[in-house]
Amino acid sequence: MPDKVMERILAAVQKPGRYTGGELNSVVKDKHAVDLRYAFCFPDTYEIGMSHLGMKILYSLVNARPDAWCERVFAPWTDMEDAMRKNGVPLYALESGDPVRDFDLIGFTLQYELSYTNMLNMLDLAGLPVRSADRTALTPIVAAGGPCVCNAEPVHAFVDLCMLGEGEEVTNEVIDLLIRHKKRGSDKQTFLREAAQIEGVYVPSLYDVSYNADGTVQAVTPKDGAPATVRKRIVSDLDTMFCPDETVVPSVEVVHDRTTTEIFRGCIRGCRFCQAGFIYRPIREKSPDVIDAQCRAICDATGYDEISLCSLSSSDYTQMETLIRKLISWTDDQKINVALPSLRADNFPKDLMEKLAGVRRSSLTFAPEAGTQRLRDAINKNVTEDEVLHTAKQAFAGGWTAVKLYFMLGLPTETDTDVRGIADLAQKVVDAYYANPDKPKGKGVTVSISASTFVPKPFTPFQWEAQDDLDTVLRKQTLLRESIHTRKVSLSCHHAQTSRLEAVFARGDRKLADVLESAWRMGCRFDGWDDQFRFDLWEQAFAQAGMSMSFYANRRRSFDEVLPWDHLDYGVSKAYLRRENEKAAESRTTPHCRERCGGCGADKMNGGKCDARCKALD
Amino acid sequence: MRAVRLWIKKEGRAKYISHLDMNRCFTRAVRRAGLNLWYTEGFNPHPYLNFLTPLSLGQESDGEPLDIRMEDDTSDDEIRTRLNASLPEGVSVARVQDAVRKPAEIAFASYTVRIELDDAAQAEAFCDRARALLDSGELTAEKPGKQGHRKVMKQVRLCEKIRDIQVAADGACVVLQAVLHAGNDMLNPALLADALQKNIGTDGLVRIRRHAFFCADMTPFE
Repeated sequence: MPDKVMERILAAVQKPGRYTGGELNSVVKDKHAVDLRYAFCFPDTYEIGMSHLGMKILYSLVNARPDAWCERVFAPWTDMEDAMRKNGVPLYALESGDPVRDFDLIGFTLQYELSYTNMLNMLDLAGLPVRSADRTALTPIVAAGGPCVCNAEPVHAFVDLCMLGEGEEVTNEVIDLLIRHKKRGSDKQTFLREAAQIEGVYVPSLYDVSYNADGTVQAVTPKDGAPATVRKRIVSDLDTMFCPDETVVPSVEVVHDRTTTEIFRGCIRGCRFCQAGFIYRPIREKSPDVIDAQCRAICDATGYDEISLCSLSSSDYTQMETLIRKLISWTDDQKINVALPSLRADNFPKDLMEKLAGVRRSSLTFAPEAGTQRLRDAINKNVTEDEVLHTAKQAFAGGWTAVKLYFMLGLPTETDTDVRGIADLAQKVVDAYYANPDKPKGKGVTVSISASTFVPKPFTPFQWEAQDDLDTVLRKQTLLRESIHTRKVSLSCHHAQTSRLEAVFARGDRKLADVLESAWRMGCRFDGWDDQFRFDLWEQAFAQAGMSMSFYANRRRSFDEVLPWDHLDYGVSKAYLRRENEKAAESRTTPHCRERCGGCGADKMNGGKCDARCKALD
Repeated sequence: MRAVRLWIKKEGRAKYISHLDMNRCFTRAVRRAGLNLWYTEGFNPHPYLNFLTPLSLGQESDGEPLDIRMEDDTSDDEIRTRLNASLPEGVSVARVQDAVRKPAEIAFASYTVRIELDDAAQAEAFCDRARALLDSGELTAEKPGKQGHRKVMKQVRLCEKIRDIQVAADGACVVLQAVLHAGNDMLNPALLADALQKNIGTDGLVRIRRHAFFCADMTPFE
């Protein structure tokens, strides 16, 4: 990096500490002493990427190998991008400052559909052709992982390979193979053909897709020996799974500035809109002793004073009480705060609750997701109004005065009654506050409703459903706003256009790759940021390509349509998803996995084992 | 409880760590180092750490005073060694001592300001113009300030806040050795460098390093 140029650039941009590296525990190796250099790219800002647990795990995992060096790369904010382009500074990795284009493996984690343009932008800033076909040398290989690769079709033209599912094992297998091919002097095609034989590796260029006259997928045909279905990878045993004992400690404040330790993977709830609830199955728990030891190690290595226990639903961890008692036996003395996101307050011992809450009292959050019991049954969000009100009352009695309620608009089967039900539920929470005899004097209550727009996602029972069109979403937002009759309730609605684009790409096919590229060339990036999002440019890109967003977002698929992601296997069977879809149409619930196994089929990924079912049989 | 003053060196990439981030960085460093610090007794207990003099983003320092309170009698050497093993690149503890003077006694700070220009001739010319501007006593700069609640630009008379300044050329560089007001009435050397460049019409890269602090009578602040 030319120092003077960088110094001038850094003097002029916001939060320059994001672009310098040099943080505690960052790993610096001798680049001549390793066989492979891996640039782990997060297609969003440093503050977001450095909060991401998956990146911390894979960074440490790769750097534990003596033959490879993993470095971090984030999307520069627009001011930094402008300065880099103006001064001819290519995208560089934080540890060495070396250009990303000189790396052997460039891995993107795709957490969100609206970060796709950032991936293209980062490749371009690195000085690389964005299209896989235009990168003809063996290295760099551009790989992608994360939840979005469960339907990687819209980005198929840009990435060389995708790693499906959990990365702890497959990352090392891909690295081993690439090192062998580098030493052998293979060409890229030979490498990709062999990589496709690794379980969990999807090489889009080894599949031909044909279309019907109406634009739907006709067939996906593998070639060159690639498997007909690619099955995601999972780690079988979380207790013996790799877990970093030290992580990079950012010098600049990041979004989640704390340590994070996983307690289990998968979710037993089966809320029908939730992709995470299905694609991370089967359920696997980590034992309290292992978690406790990992928390101690990571606190010692980082100096953080807050531990966040991470899972999709904390209260479903079967040994929570044991775990918390173990943790507070030492965290209390060391003044370390233990945070439990997504905890149900109702069935938790009160003394532990008080210890946990500590003195940092943030506001209380519920996610009923829908306004009426009928619709909550349809989406299988098994929370009753009584439970919400009961917990709210408890919280008010404990001194809380602010409650946040999360809802979604546009859920399948939703009617205006359901929309008005959101306002009614909020009103009941307000009433519950004033019914409390011990309420703090002179203090009002604040109930904040946050209403997002439903986005149908692959591998969920709603993968066939249509999203409401823009006009309907906006009408429902207005209806909701008009249904609120008190100033104690505030409403914020998620941008409808953002959710529309998310819906397009979540279930998109390969034809979207061209639109994606042209939108990025028009200047789209950071689409997930309201202040950067340019829906007008996106509309223009679709119009120019003669394509329609509605085809992807607002069309109900029939059960026999070939879905663009049908050749990928995430464990849950299509038959199960269809059963769940049909039950939703009748507003019938499915009990959670511990009450009764729903037969989703994900257990086959783990040799028939699923921690939800074992516990249910006990 | 012992009041201890640490002198924190900040250089290289670490100059891009902001003042607030330095606080967070040390909160974690003292934990990693296992130092037994006195915790505040408020609603949200945290280790007492007080950087006496905020340093602007992008500036280096030989030693920023940081006051802490130790609950035990860990030796100064031990504190330094343990902390230095727990800090990010470019941040280190230069010295550890008992806090002698009160923070309010800080009156001046010394700096080296290097302005990198195109060539030696430009640097020489810059020095002549700079000396004339400084001698005139009329050099001013605009700085965002407040009038009541309104945000306004305020005129700052720079020369009143300069105790001593030497201007010299070093190749293509202009080097200012300056002792400026510090504490409440402080003058940021970046403001001075910008004012000179604006008046003279150059756009050189500015590098600033803070060296030491002094009391009103120019005895070292310790």
